[in-house]
Amino acid sequence: MSSKEEILARIRQHTRTRYEMPDLTLDAITYEDKVHSFVEQLKAGGGEAHLLRPDETWDEVIRSYYPDAKRIASNLQEIGCATFNPDELQDPRELNGTDLAVVKGLFGVAENAAVWLPKQTKHKAVFFIPNALVILLDRNELVNNMNEAYRRLAEADYDYGVFMSGPSKTADIEQALVFGAHGPIRVTVILK
Amino acid sequence: MKIGLFIPCYVNAVYPEVGVAAFKLLKSLGLDVDYPLDQTCCGQPMANAGFEEEATRLALRMEELFATYEYVVGPSASCVAFVKENHLHILENAGHVCQNSEKIYDICEFLHDVVKPTQLQAEFPHKVSLHNSCHGVRELFLSSPSERNIPYYSKLRDLLNLVKGIEVFEPKRVDECCGFGGMFSIEEPEVSVCMGKDKVHDHLSTGAEYITGADSSCLMHMQGVINREHLPIQTIHIVQILAAGL
Amino acid sequence: MSTKHAIAGARFIADEAQEKWHDETLWMVRAKRDKQSRLLPEWERLRDLASAIKMYSNSHLDTLLEEFERQATANGAIVHWAKDAEEHNRIVYDILKQQGAKRLIKSKSMLTEECEMSPFLFLRGIDVVESDLGERILQLMGLKPSHIVLPAIHVKRQAIGRMMEEKLGTEPGNYDPTYLTHAMRRHLRDQFLQADVAMTGANFAVASTGEIVVCTNEGNADMGTSFPKVHIATFGMEKIVPDREALGVFTRLLARSGTGQPITSYTSHYRRPPKGSEFHIIIVDNGRSDILADADHVKTLNCIRCGECMNTCPVYRRTGGYSYTYFIPGPIGINLGMLRNPKQFADNVSACSLCLSCSNVCPAKVDLGEQIYKWRQKLDDIGRANPEKKLMSAGMKYLMERPVVFNMALKFAPIVNHLPRFMVYNAANAWGKGRELPAFAKESFNDMWKKNKVK
Repeated sequence: MSSKEEILARIRQHTRTRYEMPDLTLDAITYEDKVHSFVEQLKAGGGEAHLLRPDETWDEVIRSYYPDAKRIASNLQEIGCATFNPDELQDPRELNGTDLAVVKGLFGVAENAAVWLPKQTKHKAVFFIPNALVILLDRNELVNNMNEAYRRLAEADYDYGVFMSGPSKTADIEQALVFGAHGPIRVTVILK
Repeated sequence: MKIGLFIPCYVNAVYPEVGVAAFKLLKSLGLDVDYPLDQTCCGQPMANAGFEEEATRLALRMEELFATYEYVVGPSASCVAFVKENHLHILENAGHVCQNSEKIYDICEFLHDVVKPTQLQAEFPHKVSLHNSCHGVRELFLSSPSERNIPYYSKLRDLLNLVKGIEVFEPKRVDECCGFGGMFSIEEPEVSVCMGKDKVHDHLSTGAEYITGADSSCLMHMQGVINREHLPIQTIHIVQILAAGL
Repeated sequence: MSTKHAIAGARFIADEAQEKWHDETLWMVRAKRDKQSRLLPEWERLRDLASAIKMYSNSHLDTLLEEFERQATANGAIVHWAKDAEEHNRIVYDILKQQGAKRLIKSKSMLTEECEMSPFLFLRGIDVVESDLGERILQLMGLKPSHIVLPAIHVKRQAIGRMMEEKLGTEPGNYDPTYLTHAMRRHLRDQFLQADVAMTGANFAVASTGEIVVCTNEGNADMGTSFPKVHIATFGMEKIVPDREALGVFTRLLARSGTGQPITSYTSHYRRPPKGSEFHIIIVDNGRSDILADADHVKTLNCIRCGECMNTCPVYRRTGGYSYTYFIPGPIGINLGMLRNPKQFADNVSACSLCLSCSNVCPAKVDLGEQIYKWRQKLDDIGRANPEKKLMSAGMKYLMERPVVFNMALKFAPIVNHLPRFMVYNAANAWGKGRELPAFAKESFNDMWKKNKVK
């Protein structure tokens, strides 16, 4: 008997009462002003939010936040300030030393400022290896909470995807909060 | 309404005045209360130590003692909780259907939920800090457990609000354990003492003169710490406050 | 009459400053958790749902695991099944060997600790690098984690700084957490780039999609899996959830409970390997299928390893993770240790005042305190009852079953009040450590009643 068969046999032999799957409908929290909640939560988690004004371009805003960034990665057409297209690199290790990457969020979550980022570049390292990350997000694409978020993803097809909420952080040394454990030290979400 | 007064072993031995206050308080509210003689122990100390079956005969004895009463009421939340929660299956193992479990109340719970007095004669012009004991909170739900997201309530505070002149405070860690835990206090004495000291100091920081609660066992533990450390606070069972002046 | 936990706990408490810091710091995490939970009116409903989903999934493991395997295989992953720790470690080693891999970068996983995988691989010439910052610090210090979510909570910044001076060449005397963290970032960046194979645990495995979900704040799981061509993910089979909708419930509870954050920085979903890469998933039993048959303790399988039962436990906070003999400390560790080997890990059962705070914070409603009570009832049968407690219990039983004797004893008890202090508080008297004994009343309530003095 294979290990799989052995394990399944033991499970069947030892399972007692079989419980029903509960009905998952619930009155989850909603926000009158989802943008406001998203922005507040993002700040609380160490991120930055910028509400794009009609007279501003993506590039202007990115430049104003990151005037010193030299290596800027993006495969987005609309980002003129990118210095290279990360999809042209064969080896993701070549991304090391990237100052800033610009990516697109599909939707955000008001309760915790998480942004859904399905893999959109050849290397998913683009999300993690730069010192700073700018996420472009449509402010009309906000859901209230994670229950809504996963309902929205119920049938979604992706190879890899991450809910990202603010910068990489740790409190492993005496519970002192430090940003930039391994991933981006700064994360800025620009809401159009 | 015939009430059997349940006086746990250590209240009987160490704090008879708590029993007296409980009796007077119930009596003053016009209730028919009696004390079935020769009570000993509910068996909790043995069971919490890991010898539940040693509580069987004690549970059976309590069943006999209180068989004719409509309510069993005691001034000790932890012992009441033990009868309510554990006598049920202890007696089931002995082939007996537990009756007390259904009709036993901590005295505060009983006053608050059944008798519902709108006034008391008591006057107690002191600052007190409420001791929300673990089993009172998390087994009998005398107050909202701090872990739960439910609206705040406190049956003890509601009752104390009927006392004239009293000021009620609560410690910062509102229902953290005092470290008594029955035989835990002697099996892990250093931890137990550390918890006891922390708890007493939390109560002290409210500025209260007294620590009060529904469990003499926690109060006994904290009084032990207070006496050893000569701290400027005393413990008093809540029924002694509610029965003040009777 | 002390257990190993009581002795080690007393030692932890002896360093009063450290004990206070540990207690207050973890209490702060509990307070953050309370604050977060109160922001959601549906909090208690979420706990109910989490528990109900787990009751469903853990009683349908056979079908859910097979569904997971089907989906994961269709996604291009390779699924392995491991009966026990040894088979698990062997599977990992075989994958590494096949790749000719020497360096394994791994994110935090309690399961690999459970399987003692790292020592197994070290012996076979594999350099296993922990990528969670706290875990890496401990690894470089030669220490074990003392908390499942905050692994280095017991180590002070000075000790970390001194170790980093020696091993990583940081500035002598610089113990600033930001400085040390960023030095660690540079050190681990090299490790990420040089690793041959990446390994992660899983917080959740989704049956309907065959994906695994990993939650971190640091992004170390994602960094780790971004460069090597092989990713091995391993999970204990109770990590299975039926579908993404169920994930909605758990991802709302996990970080709020564990660290008091609304969500971790990264909630990563691994579904298909990138082109040219391999994705291995190991489903591990290692005793879990036996727990299914244990009605008293089956709910331990609800645990989502948030660690909040440790933060709320008044005993854990004051005694630290090392005072427990099982690698998972605190209320859940007491129970899991007993399920692993009751004789070996019985010393932890004393580490509980039965306050039941753990049962009330648990996001998946594991009845942790109630289960510890049940373990105590079983100690005598396995020959691990405390002999002194047993004697005291038997003595109390004798006394309490005989009201006449009990009442007589109470008559003479007040004499104890007048004994010389050295007789009352001798070394054997554990109560006397830090507490005065209560004085017996001159007259018991029973006597007063008989004499008609209660009016």
